[in-house]
Amino acid sequence: MSASLVSVPTRVRRRNKYLGLVDSALQQAVAYRVLALTGIVGNMLWIVILFAIWRAAFADSGTIEGFTWPQMQTYILLAYGINAMVGFSSASKMMQAIRQGTIVIDMIRPLNYLGTQLATTLGLAIVEGVISFALTIGIGVIFLDMQAPASFWHSLLFLLSVGLGFLTKFLFVFCISLLVFWTTSSVGLNWTQTALVNVLAGVLIPIQFLPGWLATVAEWSPLRGIVSTPVSVYLGREDGIDLLLVLGLQAVWVIALWCFADWAWKRAFRAVEIQGG
Amino acid sequence: MSASRIPAAVTSSIAPIGEPIIAARGLTKVFRRPVKPPGLKGALRHLVRPSWTDFTAVDAIDLTIQAGESVAYVGPNGAGKSTTVKLLTGILVPTSGEVRVCGIEPFRQRIANARNIGVVFGQRTQLWWDIPVQESLRLLGDIYELPADEYARTFAHLTEVLDLAPLLAIPARQLSLGQRMRCDLAASLLHSPPILYLDEPTIGLDVAVKARFREFIRTMHRENGLTVMLTSHDLGDIEELCDRMVMIDRGTVVYDGALDAVTTRFGWERSLHLTFTEDEPDATAIAGRVLAHRADVTFTQLDPSRLDVAFDSREVTSGELIRDLATHLPLADIRIEEPSAESIIRRLYEGQLQFDDPQVSGGAR
Repeated sequence: MSASLVSVPTRVRRRNKYLGLVDSALQQAVAYRVLALTGIVGNMLWIVILFAIWRAAFADSGTIEGFTWPQMQTYILLAYGINAMVGFSSASKMMQAIRQGTIVIDMIRPLNYLGTQLATTLGLAIVEGVISFALTIGIGVIFLDMQAPASFWHSLLFLLSVGLGFLTKFLFVFCISLLVFWTTSSVGLNWTQTALVNVLAGVLIPIQFLPGWLATVAEWSPLRGIVSTPVSVYLGREDGIDLLLVLGLQAVWVIALWCFADWAWKRAFRAVEIQGG
Repeated sequence: MSASRIPAAVTSSIAPIGEPIIAARGLTKVFRRPVKPPGLKGALRHLVRPSWTDFTAVDAIDLTIQAGESVAYVGPNGAGKSTTVKLLTGILVPTSGEVRVCGIEPFRQRIANARNIGVVFGQRTQLWWDIPVQESLRLLGDIYELPADEYARTFAHLTEVLDLAPLLAIPARQLSLGQRMRCDLAASLLHSPPILYLDEPTIGLDVAVKARFREFIRTMHRENGLTVMLTSHDLGDIEELCDRMVMIDRGTVVYDGALDAVTTRFGWERSLHLTFTEDEPDATAIAGRVLAHRADVTFTQLDPSRLDVAFDSREVTSGELIRDLATHLPLADIRIEEPSAESIIRRLYEGQLQFDDPQVSGGAR
């Protein structure tokens, strides 16, 4: 009888349930490391393309909208590295859970859904984001003219801002994914989400480069917190009161989005029958 | 709402004696469905002026289940079984009516309710697909906040009785269906819930695995007092696991009572299985001619050497039928089949039998 061979794993201690979920998501991401790597390679391609375009643009003039060429290179690299933390696959995971009805499994457990999704996304981000971020910076330092953070304090605030940016993107994608309850399809929503972030968060081009009215929208929208704010902090484009203001705006938006996401989740869940049931 | 402040673990184990563990009164769920005329034109019209129709999936159901019962919740596809289970798990909010599980309203306190229930879905796993089973179970221990010693005890017990030891290191996606089901059972019972919902649990399992599965559930039910609610189309599951049957059709309860009572109620159904000494392709026609004067006899011929005769034992005896048929057909062998719950339930689904007797319909309890 094989039962006698069981070594009961002695658990050292109980983990917090959401930390447990982060840990499991991490293990799952490692299981799908090939997928993660293809995503990273895809991002690298974008970096190469953007690099080529901007080099041409900077060939004639030394600075554009206050950006020097080395600053612009740093911007491109950081923008992609940060944006990859909550990638396309994290977003599809959230949407698939609703579309395929696996959400039912989460709901029969004593779990808060928003917390569960955050934990899962965080686990994925640790693997995909950290690898992609490290690679990006590695390439930047070795092959490109990547700049160091403006100062030690700027680098600390940059990390804080990246954390807030992660939450912002997670909450934004979470809210978009709730629309799957009504659309029952996720492809269009995921592309919409990506397009909005690419433009309004400053992934493709710094939001300062957008046409006037759109620049104003982008400046006040929560999405700038995903990429534009952390990169600006890194480059030292904001200082003093302005620095505190952009970080404050980022934090306020995180709180507002969290409250909205929680409310929207409850509404969506009440209003719509679970798909596939 | 004083009960709401009592921790779930306490409410579940010290449910007042005689108080039902599951109680639903007038439980109703109405879904709103879009009405989309066919084609692109229809889709566009719906976009401009959406119209909706109400669909009552569960219609004023009364259901009382005592702790320690095992109840088969059956009905044809779309009868409202899954919707009822979702209402009991708190995933759906009732349109009207009352529902309490272990004294808790599931939709108001979904998380407290979740600690009292285990759910097994035959069609989807609750294990994390890509991590070893052992890690999935550990994570569930965290999610249900089980103390380390309690977790170790339950884990060791379930590992032994379900023989999980060889599977623990394997990710769920690499398990066979039977292995996965054993692990899913462990996952659903790890937090020792007083209630277990089984949703089509044996779908796709082979005969041997099915038998082990039923044996395990029976033991948990008889020895540990687990309350079991089973929705299944597998009548073997129903006959072997449940004493009581609740049948719903189009959202309403059409039968609620002992499983035996169904057999008694429709016990006049009999079948003769005839085997011939030589092939007789026209057996149906011959038998039809011979028994033309009898109304309630039907024939099924699966191959030339056999004929099945279904009849109503109130109208005619098997002796009379055999005597009439033996003179015209080359009978070699005769087997008489008593009605099984299986054949009766199948015919109930197909609408060939009706619970038109008020003493049976809902009155058995």
